Amino acid sequence: MSETSRTLALKSSEFRRGREASWQALETLLDRAERRGIRALAPDELEQLPLLYRQALSSLSVARAIALDRHLLLYLEDLALRAFLVVYGPRRDLAGGIRDFLLRGFPLAVQGARWHVLITLLVLLAGCVAGYTLTIADAHWFYTFVPSGLAGDRGPDSTRAELLDDEIFHPWPGLVESFVVVANFLFQHNTMIGILSFSLGIAAGIPTLILIAYQGLMLGAFLAVHAKLGLAYDFIGWVSIHGITELGAIVLCGAGGLLVAEKVLFPGRYSRVESLARVGGQASQIALGAVLLFFLAAILEGGFRQLVSDTVARLAIGGAVGACWITYLSLPRTGGADDGRP
Amino acid sequence: MTAVHERTARFLNPIGRAKREIVTPEGVPLQVELADFGERLGAFLLDFVFLYLGILLLAIALGLVLGEFDADPRIIFTLVLFLGFLIRTLYFVSFELAWRGATPGKRIVRLKVIDRRGGPLRQNAVVARNIMRELEAFLPLSALFAVAGPGSAWERLALAGWLLLFALLPLFNRDRMRGGDLLAGTMVIALPKRRLLVDLVQATEQAEFTDRQLRAYGAFELQVLEELLRRPDNAETIRLRQDVCARVCRKIGWDKPVPPGEVLDFLRRFYTAERAFLEREQLYGRPVEDKESAGGRD
Repeated sequence: MSETSRTLALKSSEFRRGREASWQALETLLDRAERRGIRALAPDELEQLPLLYRQALSSLSVARAIALDRHLLLYLEDLALRAFLVVYGPRRDLAGGIRDFLLRGFPLAVQGARWHVLITLLVLLAGCVAGYTLTIADAHWFYTFVPSGLAGDRGPDSTRAELLDDEIFHPWPGLVESFVVVANFLFQHNTMIGILSFSLGIAAGIPTLILIAYQGLMLGAFLAVHAKLGLAYDFIGWVSIHGITELGAIVLCGAGGLLVAEKVLFPGRYSRVESLARVGGQASQIALGAVLLFFLAAILEGGFRQLVSDTVARLAIGGAVGACWITYLSLPRTGGADDGRP
Repeated sequence: MTAVHERTARFLNPIGRAKREIVTPEGVPLQVELADFGERLGAFLLDFVFLYLGILLLAIALGLVLGEFDADPRIIFTLVLFLGFLIRTLYFVSFELAWRGATPGKRIVRLKVIDRRGGPLRQNAVVARNIMRELEAFLPLSALFAVAGPGSAWERLALAGWLLLFALLPLFNRDRMRGGDLLAGTMVIALPKRRLLVDLVQATEQAEFTDRQLRAYGAFELQVLEELLRRPDNAETIRLRQDVCARVCRKIGWDKPVPPGEVLDFLRRFYTAERAFLEREQLYGRPVEDKESAGGRD
């Protein structure tokens, strides 16, 4: 072989010349898709994208095996990653996502956590019974359980007439006062409680259970104060109109928290972090649904509670709303959660 | 990347971003660069400013419009409060869905949220990581700065500690995850954007170096030389090139003098020849990693 007079033929240069056009084509598509979203691509370009993406992946594999050209390899690594991010980005727009969430995601997530819902419900009831028994025996427990901001003027010292006129059968204060001011305050307050009890699940669930039990304690304390004055029946009617939705939402938040807590405590055959990620999507769908319920509860509470001033009618509305929720959440839905992890 | 490429990367850029590997559904491992803590914080602060600027503008607009109708100021106040809550909750989720894992802040800092295992970024993962954001940042922040917030200094201190705990969480785990990433199975990466530069190899170049001369170096040296050739021309680069050129000539026993004006051309010719040689060796199953392993065989 002559050492001096042959033409150098580099396999890597041939490789690059042969494939460069498809890389450039992919890069042009990616530039547009990254700047203006995947909708900026024409239908035939959308068809091309996965093909070009696979070609880039195969180029990358070849380059990893043969390339001594550092820049080329780095370029292909970047190109493949950019194409991967565009091809496997979130698949739905917001509207489609909301529809899917309401029709399948939320009910399916709740159905998958039915034991957690049951446990949370029991804890809430236990808190309620404890609050009731303690406050019946000694009215001063009320001040321990209920912060003054929530109690308002109500308490063990309230008279029967005060409770009836100012609370249970208080006349409707008008659109502004009830919907805009009261409902908004209640929504923000309740949502915070819900989100807290959900996210504290990450601390092994103990704070979640304490928070849920505490909500029960407050309810029990209120019930006891009213029961002492013989108003238990009217109070339950007054609470039921929104309380079914609101307590349901609190229970769901707690259940979401427990779902997370379970994976923190018993990660099973995955690592703890991996295990958390597997359940996080389901848990957060429950929490998001619960926020929606809080919103509806606040509207019911701020408005309809005082508009309907008859205890039997209130109980009927509360029961009907509750039955709606149970049906909505427990109706069987087709297929697995589409948004579940593979 | 192969071992040699990694070694070159460490040599040329010793304090680069931390790297992770994800595996695409096609089974190809891809390297991603994790976003730095500072980049994450910067993106969040930008989003925070945009968000509250938007809410402030909305409040002013509502105040002006409803003020015309002599509306109760409480209505305006609560409307703003409610819309603010809604916007805050939807801002991150809708942007991360619509812009495939980026919010305006992340887009400016060039970050992106991806699935930690390389799968598609799911809608409920986006929801999960942003619901946790409420607990990590907005809830304690609004409590801390609320007018009727916690009274005692201890309560404020506890809140600040809580904020700090979550804010610093990304510093204490391998993948720089905050609480929301942990729950959603996501991580935040820095976006790549490398353009394809010209090939340094001229296709029809004549061989002027002997195999014996080319055997002096390996793939590692070749890649460092490539980086030197691609550096922007400035005084330091020119000095470095002359230095390297002199060393190469000494090492391979090149006795013809190289005038300063032809240094770049000489190095480029040498690069082409060396790469052709190393490629051929690699093809024959004799990859040469660096000059130590190259010298040992002769």
